Amino acid sequence: MGLEEQVLASEMFDLRDTLGQQGITFCYSGYMTEGILLGIGNAIKTQMQLGDADAKVTKGVFAVFVEQVQNVIRYSAEKIGNEDSSELRYGILTVGSKDDVPFVACGNMIETKDAERLRDSLTHIKGLDRDGLKALWKETLRGETPEGSKGAGVGFIDIARNARHGIDFDFRKVDDAYVFFTLKALL
Amino acid sequence: MENIKIPAEERSLEVDFDFAANTFSLSGRSFPENVPEFFGPLVDKLKEHFATQKGARIVFSFSLVYFNSPSAKYVLGLFDLLERTAEAGNEVKILWACEKDDDMQEMGEDMAEDLESATFELRFLN
Repeated sequence: MGLEEQVLASEMFDLRDTLGQQGITFCYSGYMTEGILLGIGNAIKTQMQLGDADAKVTKGVFAVFVEQVQNVIRYSAEKIGNEDSSELRYGILTVGSKDDVPFVACGNMIETKDAERLRDSLTHIKGLDRDGLKALWKETLRGETPEGSKGAGVGFIDIARNARHGIDFDFRKVDDAYVFFTLKALL
Repeated sequence: MENIKIPAEERSLEVDFDFAANTFSLSGRSFPENVPEFFGPLVDKLKEHFATQKGARIVFSFSLVYFNSPSAKYVLGLFDLLERTAEAGNEVKILWACEKDDDMQEMGEDMAEDLESATFELRFLN
């Protein structure tokens, strides 16, 4: 094997190893599309079923995965194209299991002006118990769609309701205009 | 009002509305690309029809395997509409088919919590 081939093999192997150590079984970094959503979603379902996963957990992972990817598709500030024609938004997705706890994590750029609203919302959600989440969920569904929401405004609440082992989130400043937002759901 | 029959697709529900018989059913998976576009017209037709009903016996069946949050807004909206229709003097029964102890069972029960006039019945598939 020539030197170039050895470096390539080692880079890819190291990446695989790093992912493996974090328990990541699916990793996608790129432009999120509805097609990707369907394709990866089906693969995750099949993989979990083959691995004898609990049916309820599989459904939960699938539900959280759909919500998270749709969040990237709707809100990622890193995009090409424009609203009039077609638009592609960029994000990172990881799905896996660590110490028997399945997780789904997504990361994408957001505009700095949206970061505070998001942080407040998630902090509030993280502090609620099951009943509190249920009440907030119904209240939000019945009300006017919240500011900035392209869906029903309950995406994060849904994720939190499914994440039996909690949610973690992080906002990392990229520059004056952008922040990198990460959300991890532990099921 | 003409019956509505829409076949199930990979991301959207099967719709079977029989206005004359007052039996309605929604089944399958719901996460279409445009949720308001799917549900909007259906809800409008239902509102229009229920407004004319008095002393009617209405059965609405849900057999939902999965639905995303924008769809949930419409499902809860339907529960509220059915409750108002029952309050207006109709016998309204909501059937919720699901697997026992599944998330869907909990979802149906959560949505049915506020029902006082319409009745809610779980139907287990397993």
